[in-house]
Amino acid sequence: MNVEGQVALITGGASGLGAGAARILSQAGAKCALLDRNLPLATELAEELGGMAVECDVSDGPAVEAAIAQVVEKLGAPRIVLNAAGIDIAVRTASAKGPHPLDEFERVIRVNLTGTFNVARVAAYGMIGLDALDDDGERGVVINIASVVAQDGPVGQAAYAASKAGVQGMTLPMARDLAPYGIRVMTIAPGMFETPLAAGIPQDWIDSIIPTVPFPKRWGNPLEFGALVQQICENTMLNGEMIRIDGAIRMGT
Amino acid sequence: MNLNNISVLITGGASGLGAGAAKLFIDKGAKVTIFDRNLELAQTTATELGCAAVQCDVADETSVLAALAEAGKINGTPRILVNCAGIDITGRTATKGGPQPREALTQQIAVNLTGTFNICRLGADAIRELDDLEGEEQGVIVNVASIAGLDGPFGQTAYAATKAAVIGMTLPMARDLSAYGIRVVTIAPGVFNTPLAASVLRGEPDDYAGGVPFPKRAGKPAEFASIAVEICQNPMLNGEVIRLDGALRG
Repeated sequence: MNVEGQVALITGGASGLGAGAARILSQAGAKCALLDRNLPLATELAEELGGMAVECDVSDGPAVEAAIAQVVEKLGAPRIVLNAAGIDIAVRTASAKGPHPLDEFERVIRVNLTGTFNVARVAAYGMIGLDALDDDGERGVVINIASVVAQDGPVGQAAYAASKAGVQGMTLPMARDLAPYGIRVMTIAPGMFETPLAAGIPQDWIDSIIPTVPFPKRWGNPLEFGALVQQICENTMLNGEMIRIDGAIRMGT
Repeated sequence: MNLNNISVLITGGASGLGAGAAKLFIDKGAKVTIFDRNLELAQTTATELGCAAVQCDVADETSVLAALAEAGKINGTPRILVNCAGIDITGRTATKGGPQPREALTQQIAVNLTGTFNICRLGADAIRELDDLEGEEQGVIVNVASIAGLDGPFGQTAYAATKAAVIGMTLPMARDLSAYGIRVVTIAPGVFNTPLAASVLRGEPDDYAGGVPFPKRAGKPAEFASIAVEICQNPMLNGEVIRLDGALRG
């Protein structure tokens, strides 16, 4: 679909990958609704881009329904959904300090996996009621964010990897579920990108990991992530697939 | 990589996915040379699109070296290599009529696998010697596999083997060439509206797209071109295989 004039709903849109995609999609003429737990930060970017900001915890069912209703009322019904909200922790499954706290594991699953599914299901239901855009019958596109950690997860990433592998696993069945309504589902698996989320990673680990990126040997830029998001929106044949965008990195231990 | 004035080589560029890619790369300002075994068709396409055509058998080293030299003379050493040349010989592994002829495999390996590798190694070597582009990268290789390389239907054993091999080369080749600033990405198309698909399916590819979840039609070469261009423009895409198939699983 041509993104110009479309409403794009971006969770975690206040910063990082979500913000990078919001900038690219806005530039291409989309109206961006930024859902984020950090309302002041989301508002700042929304004002810059001429979009809107809504405070939202993606793992909360009624909160997501209310947030999407606000977006529909103010900007119109979103046909583009980007699930960029996510959290990361670094804890080993068991160590001398004890076993991995279960509530921490469940918190990561709740935000990254349940939160992604929650927004996808509510937003897709909204799209079903919209008119088709073209002869193909396209109504919308849902883009989820996994991570290369879903496929080759390093130490301390059991919870994050499980949540992201869950997102990867949902891609094909969700695409099949929504195909009859002309809604595509794609997942992007980013490698090392310069985002606030990555800022929580210990510096010595960062220093050791960037040199292992084959090419380019640097952090990814959220705008590069955004360019791929735009391609996915525009290219109707992309469906049910996960694309790694990682400079060919495969994570060692 | 900004494609303006960049020399781009597209094998199998006379028709199908290659011709579709040629059109979009030209629109982006690239100087395109299409390689094809069928020179007449390549020249017709090249005249229509406004690019160069050179005869080349990708499976033959001498032919590739001569064609690369010719492309270099016309448009400068190609920095982007798009490997679309391919053949598809259908046939079941064994039937009442007997085993499948060995040549079904060896011929397809020669074109689809060895041909792709041949262009990659000779083309990459030439890019490596250039090493003069401003910015971080020197070149991009886009290989074309097929979803048959991942979930191949009956009658496609030999074809699937060659395409799975192209998929398998992607990561080690990206690692091999990363030191020279050359990226390698593979596209695995599903059912597309091309002469190759029409001959294999013995009919209109659109009529065989009923199993595609969405969109329920054959892909357009312009859609293949769009992802190929995105791959070239986006420096973070490397060492990956991208299915382009409307979520079809064979």
